[in-house]
Amino acid sequence: MAVEYDAIIIGAGHNGLVNAAYLARAGKRVLILERRPIVGGAAVTEEIYPGFKYSVCSYVVSLLRPEIIRELDLARYGLEILPLDGTFTPMLDGHYLMRWSDHAQTRREIARHSIADAEAYEEFGKLMYHMALLVKPLLSMAPPSPTSLNPGDLIQFARLAKQLRDHGGKNLYDLTKLMTVSSADFLDAWFETEVLKATLAASGIIGTFLGPRSPGTAYVMLHHYMGEIDGVFRSWGFVRGGMGTLTQAIARAAQGFGAEVRTEAEVDQVIAKNGPATGVALSSGEEIQGRVVVSGVDPKRTFLKLVDPSRLDPEFLDQVRKYKMRGSSGKVNLALSELPNFTCLPGDGPHLRGAISISPSLDYLERAYDDAKYGDFSRRPYLDILIPSTIDPSLAPPGKHVMSIFVQYAPYHLKQGTWKDRREEFGDGVIDTLAEYAPNLKSAILHRQVLTPWDLEQEFGLTEGNIFHGELSLDQIFFSRPIPGWARYRTPIKNLYLCGSGTHPGGGVMGAPGRLAALEILNDWKRGKIR
Amino acid sequence: MERRYDAIVIGAGHNGLITAAYLAKAGKKVLVLERRPIVGGAAVTEEVYPGFKYSTCSAIVDRLAPHIIRELNLRGYGLEFLPSESAAFAPLPDSDYLLLWKDIRKTVREIERFSKVDAAKYTAFNRLVSRLTAFIHSLFWTPPPDPVALRASNVKDLLQWGWNFLRLGRRDMQQAIRILPMSVADFLDEWFETEVLKATLATRGIAGSFLGPRWPGTAFLLLYHSLGAWGGVPGVEFVRGGMGSLTQAIAQAAQACGAQLRTQAEVAQVLIRDGKATGVALQGGEEISGTVVISNADPRRTFLKLVDPVLLDPHFLWQVRSIKFRGSSAKVDLSLGELPNFTCLPGDGLHLRGVISISPSLDYLERAHDDAKYGSYSQKPFLYITIPSLTDPSLAPPGRHVMSILAQHAPYYLKDGSWEGRCEEFGDRVIDTLAEYAPNLKGAILHRQVLTPLDLEEIYGLTEGNL
Repeated sequence: MAVEYDAIIIGAGHNGLVNAAYLARAGKRVLILERRPIVGGAAVTEEIYPGFKYSVCSYVVSLLRPEIIRELDLARYGLEILPLDGTFTPMLDGHYLMRWSDHAQTRREIARHSIADAEAYEEFGKLMYHMALLVKPLLSMAPPSPTSLNPGDLIQFARLAKQLRDHGGKNLYDLTKLMTVSSADFLDAWFETEVLKATLAASGIIGTFLGPRSPGTAYVMLHHYMGEIDGVFRSWGFVRGGMGTLTQAIARAAQGFGAEVRTEAEVDQVIAKNGPATGVALSSGEEIQGRVVVSGVDPKRTFLKLVDPSRLDPEFLDQVRKYKMRGSSGKVNLALSELPNFTCLPGDGPHLRGAISISPSLDYLERAYDDAKYGDFSRRPYLDILIPSTIDPSLAPPGKHVMSIFVQYAPYHLKQGTWKDRREEFGDGVIDTLAEYAPNLKSAILHRQVLTPWDLEQEFGLTEGNIFHGELSLDQIFFSRPIPGWARYRTPIKNLYLCGSGTHPGGGVMGAPGRLAALEILNDWKRGKIR
Repeated sequence: MERRYDAIVIGAGHNGLITAAYLAKAGKKVLVLERRPIVGGAAVTEEVYPGFKYSTCSAIVDRLAPHIIRELNLRGYGLEFLPSESAAFAPLPDSDYLLLWKDIRKTVREIERFSKVDAAKYTAFNRLVSRLTAFIHSLFWTPPPDPVALRASNVKDLLQWGWNFLRLGRRDMQQAIRILPMSVADFLDEWFETEVLKATLATRGIAGSFLGPRWPGTAFLLLYHSLGAWGGVPGVEFVRGGMGSLTQAIAQAAQACGAQLRTQAEVAQVLIRDGKATGVALQGGEEISGTVVISNADPRRTFLKLVDPVLLDPHFLWQVRSIKFRGSSAKVDLSLGELPNFTCLPGDGLHLRGVISISPSLDYLERAHDDAKYGSYSQKPFLYITIPSLTDPSLAPPGRHVMSILAQHAPYYLKDGSWEGRCEEFGDRVIDTLAEYAPNLKGAILHRQVLTPLDLEEIYGLTEGNL
C-alpha cells in the first residue's frame, strides 16, 4: 500500500479544519476524516426542526484569531461576523443591567446603579486591556517547556520574560493576582454592584467546574476578555448563517488548498505498529496510510481509545487519566413563535440583539455551582442566551425565532439517576428559570432541543461533555496542557500529533491550537523529522 | 525622649520575639513592646479557670524551624516537645474510624482496613508529598525575590529559587507545576478512594484558611502544611506547659542576649520624620526613639492603624486594603471532668493523644465551607481537636483534662447578627457536633471558653481573626 497522504486529520472540528488548511496551504496532501455526516465538530448549524436553524452547540465566536481569518481568507469563503450589541442581565426586582459594546454607553448605564462603579469601570477596562495585551502573545506561541534546559525553550522563556517586562512593569503584580485569584475576589475589589460583578464573573466560570469564588476563575474571565479586545478586528460576535458557516468557510478554504474531506468516516484506531504512526483504520475496516496523523479529538479519547494503550508508557497513561474533563454545561435550543417579553424591560429592542445573561448576583452563580459540586444540576442555573434570528432572520421563518441557551451547571456525573432519564427535567428547570424573567416564554415554545453533557459526548465526541476538551484550570493550561512535558502538540508516538482544544491555548472557537499545531508539524517536516 | 534603641519591635508574638532575639544576639540594643500583660501573642498558656491551663489560641507546634531552636538555644530555656505517636484520629458517624500514625507502616496497615488499593499507594503518595514539601520548604529560607526588579540581589535570589526547582528533577518539576494550583480534593481524588482518608489529609489544605477542599490552590496549602509531617500527616508535637512555654523560652533567650521586654505597652503610632521611622509613640503618650522599627502586627494593622495613612502612596494603601484576611476559625477551650468516650473506639488510648479530626468526608468539609461562603458559621464544622493534658498532666488537676478545639468555618463577617450575640450559639454547634461522636462529652464539660474571630481580633490583635 503506497502512502496516500502526507497528513491524516482525525475529526473535522474547527481546529482539525484549521490544521488541515494550514498543512494543505504548505503543499501537503491532506485528508480530513469526520465521523458525523457534516463537518464542523461542535461549531455547526443544523436544521433540527423545519425552518429553524440552530447553532446546536457552540454559538458565538469570541476568540477566533484574526490571523486565521486573514491567512485563510475566510471572508472570501462566506464568513461574516455580526457584532453583538452587548449583554443584557435581567433581574427579578424589575431592574436590569445592560452592558453595551459602546464603552461610554455602558458607563452611563452602570451609573444608574452606582456612580462609583461607573468610574471604576473605566479604570477596570484599562487594566483588563493591558492584561489582555500581556497574555495575548501566549495565544500565538507554542508553549516552551519550563522543565527543559534546551536552549530553544530557554530563549523562548527569556523572550517571554522580556516581553512581560517591557509591557508589564507594575502591571505584573496585577497579572499574578489575576492569574490566581477568584473572579469574585478580583471584582469585589473594584465594584459594589452585585449584578455587574456577577455578569462580569460569569465569563470566568464558563466551561469550568468552578464557581465565581473559586481561585483561578479570574484567569478564565481574562481568557474571555481577550475576545472583546479583538472586537476591533471584528472577530467577536455572531456568525451569519450560524456557527456552521464558519466551519464551512474553513472547510472550503482547506479544500481550496487541496485538502480532501471525508464525512461519515469514523476512525477506529491510529495505526502505529512498530513505533511511529503510519495511518489510521476506520470503523469499516478500511486502512489509510499517512506520513503523519493529527488528532483533533480530545486527549483522553485520543490516547485511551484511538491508540493501543500498550504502546504508551504507564506513567504517561496515568497522566492522561488524570487530565480533568468534567463537563459542566448543557445546551437548550428553542424554536419560538414570538420573542420573549422581559418583565423588567418589555417589548422588542436592542437588549434582545446581544447576549442575555441570567446572572443576578455572585451568590446566585455560586449556589448554582454548589448544586453541581454535590452531583446535581443547578436548580437555578446560570444562562447565557442568544436569539440569533434577531440579527440574522434567515435562521427562522418570518416572525419566528431561534433561541440558544447555554446552561451551567450540569455535571456529567449525576449522583442520582442518569442523564438519559433526567434530560427533560433538566430542560424544564432551564425554561422555568428563564420564564421567571420572561413569563411569555413557555407559551412561545414551538420546539425544544435539550443537550446534556452526556448528549454532548455521544453526539459531538466531547469526553464527559467538556466543551473545552479539558478544563481551563491553572494546572491544565499553557505548558501543562494537556500533559506536562507534552504541550507542544507532539505525542509519545512519533508522527502522531494533537491539534484540538485540549492543547494550548485551549477551548473556545479560537482556531489557535489547530494553527499552532500545523506550524509545529511543518517545522518538524522542514527539519527532516518527518519523512 | 531619653532612651534610644537600635531596634523597637512592636508586638511580642513569637515572630517579634525571634526577631528581637536575633537582633540582640547580634549586639543590637532592642526593645520589644507588647500590648497585653503577657508576651507570646497567639502562642500563650493562660489559666482561664483555676487549675486548667489553656493554650488559648495556637495549640500545637507543627513546623518550628530546628535551626532557630538550636541557634537561640531554646531547649536551654525550658522548651520541651512532647511528640505523639498517633497523628490523627478521625471518628466516623457509623462506628468506624480512621487512625493515622506517625509510623507510616502502621498507617498503611490501618488504611488497608478501608482499601487495599489506597494502602498500596500511600507510601508513594507520602514520598511525593515529602519531596514537593521539601522544595517549598527550601524557598522559605530565601526572602521572596521581586519578579519585576532586576537588582543583583534579586537576580541572585531568583536564581537560587530556580536552582532549588531544577534540583527536583524533571518528573517532580512537572508534578510541582501541575499540582500546586490544584484543589486538594482533585489532588487526593487522583490518589485515593477512601473518603475519610482523603478528607483527613485534605484538612491540611484548608486549616486556618477561608477555603473549601474543592478550591484551587488548596493542594499547595497541603504541601505547605506538610512540613515536618510524618507519614504524610502533620506530626503532633505538644509543648510541655502549653504554647506559652515556647514563647517564654524565646523571650528568655532574647532577654539573655540583652533585649528588653515591656508588657502593657501598647504602641499607638509609628513616629515618622522626613519619610523615615524614628520611633514609636505609646498609648499613654510616651515616645520612644529607635533607629529601626519592626512591626510584628499584621500588614493591615501596621499600615492602616500604626502609620499615618497620608504618608503612604494611595495605590499602596489600596493594595493593603485588598489583602485578604477573612478569619475563618474559632477556638473553643474546654475543662473536662473526664475524657471523651468515642462510640467508634471507646475508652482511653493512643487515639486521644494526637489530633482528633472531625473530617468524615470531602463533602462534609466542603459543606462546612459552603455555610461560611454565604456568611454564616458551619452547621457541621470541621473540628481539629487536641487533649494536651493527656500528654502533659501539669495542665489540669489530676484526673481532669483540657481540650482545645479549632472550629472551622466561622467567618468574621456574619450575614445575620453579630458575633457578640452568636458566640455561645456557635459554641453549642461545636459541642453538638463533637457529642455526636462522643456522647459523654456534654456531661463532662466543667468550663467552656469560646473565642470567635472577633475575639481573636480583639484579644490578640489578629485582623478579622485571621490566624
